[in-house]
Amino acid sequence: MKAYWMFTAVGLGALLAQGAVSAHHSFAAEFDRSQKVTITGSVTKVEWENPHARFYVDAKDEGSGEIVNWDFELASPNGLMRRGWTRNSMKIGDVVTVEGFRAKNAPHVGNASTVTLASGKKLFAGSSAETEAPPGGAAPPSN
Amino acid sequence: MTKLLKTILVAGVLAAFGLPAAAQWPVYPTPNVPHKADGAPDLSAPTPRAADGHPDLTGLWEIYFQSIATAPRNGQPGPSRSQQSPGDGGQLGLTPSTPPTDPKAPPRATFFDIGANIPGGAPYQPWARELRAKRMAANNKDNPDAHCLPMGLMQLHGHPQPRKIVQTPRLIVIMYEGNQGLRQIFTDGRKLPKLDDDLQPWWYGYSVGHWEGDTLVVETVGFRDDVWLDVQGSPLTSKGKMTERWRRTDFGHLEIDVTIDDPTAYTRPFTVRVSHQLTVDQELIEFVCNENEKSSQHYDK
Repeated sequence: MKAYWMFTAVGLGALLAQGAVSAHHSFAAEFDRSQKVTITGSVTKVEWENPHARFYVDAKDEGSGEIVNWDFELASPNGLMRRGWTRNSMKIGDVVTVEGFRAKNAPHVGNASTVTLASGKKLFAGSSAETEAPPGGAAPPSN
Repeated sequence: MTKLLKTILVAGVLAAFGLPAAAQWPVYPTPNVPHKADGAPDLSAPTPRAADGHPDLTGLWEIYFQSIATAPRNGQPGPSRSQQSPGDGGQLGLTPSTPPTDPKAPPRATFFDIGANIPGGAPYQPWARELRAKRMAANNKDNPDAHCLPMGLMQLHGHPQPRKIVQTPRLIVIMYEGNQGLRQIFTDGRKLPKLDDDLQPWWYGYSVGHWEGDTLVVETVGFRDDVWLDVQGSPLTSKGKMTERWRRTDFGHLEIDVTIDDPTAYTRPFTVRVSHQLTVDQELIEFVCNENEKSSQHYDK
């Protein structure tokens, strides 16, 4: 019995796996690994296109207090699709918290490593914590 | 497996996908795949053969990394190695299914470094070593693939996205999902073109193959001077020749030994191995790099 639970957990974990490698370009060509960002705001646009899916988030700038529009890069749609995500998994108006890394030469561009909805559900990216969730109890990764 | 466990497994898979199957392109089972008692593809079954008796390389192939045994069945597509990075195995607690060690095998190339497992690295000429160091110092931002240009045969060999081989008696076609690479290997007996200044250089060169027993030997010449053999920028020049020895060792495994003979860039010919594993019940997904390429606007200057 235990073995089957583990099998399911492993299957789910593999499905949720976040591909850290960007096949299109080297991570460091665009992003700074030392510049972590955490942004909370409302999704204004989703571009489910190649070579990277992108989404845009209106969030308050900590310095000026003004609303700025962030541009976040994800993996490519083919990789995301194989994990079960679709172009409708994220919707305009969703309030999300994005953890990621800032681009080297653009202040409001980033690479999204995790995306969490206000409900706590994670979009696109799987973390090691999720893979340890009980089988069947893992948050369904789509809307 | 009891009915209850099967139900739980299906529910788990559906929860993971969280959407009706109709929302994706339909899943069509790959025909003529031998299966084991537990329903998983039997990758160690005998090598399939074409009508002409040669091994048939036809199939959808991925880099040999994770065991396909983790794939959930029940008509759902399994987790693809193309969705995983080399680091994921450890992160997920999965056992990486690295290819078996063969002391007689050539050192294994990686997507990032063709000479990763050659003691001292690939045998660069001094200018080539210097060029690669410069490219790496610039975070490889000028890798052709990072600008939606073709990545060349060696990066396609190591690319995490799958490739489909279609073998006919006189022509082998390989369609790569990665940046929509497309390759022809002529097996109709034609000769390899002679290298001269009039020859129009190509990203993928001109490939001619013949069978030596169960090994497909492919020679390729006519490359451009700006091909990168790996993400870190090991060069290949228009004077270079690539010779590949392809073997489908059983139903589910493909071994390709690649020899680079390019005296302009390397002090001696060297040979590396690439291993692929069959994947079933899925298809290539369209990848058109220039749909919405915005990353390069932010590359480090």
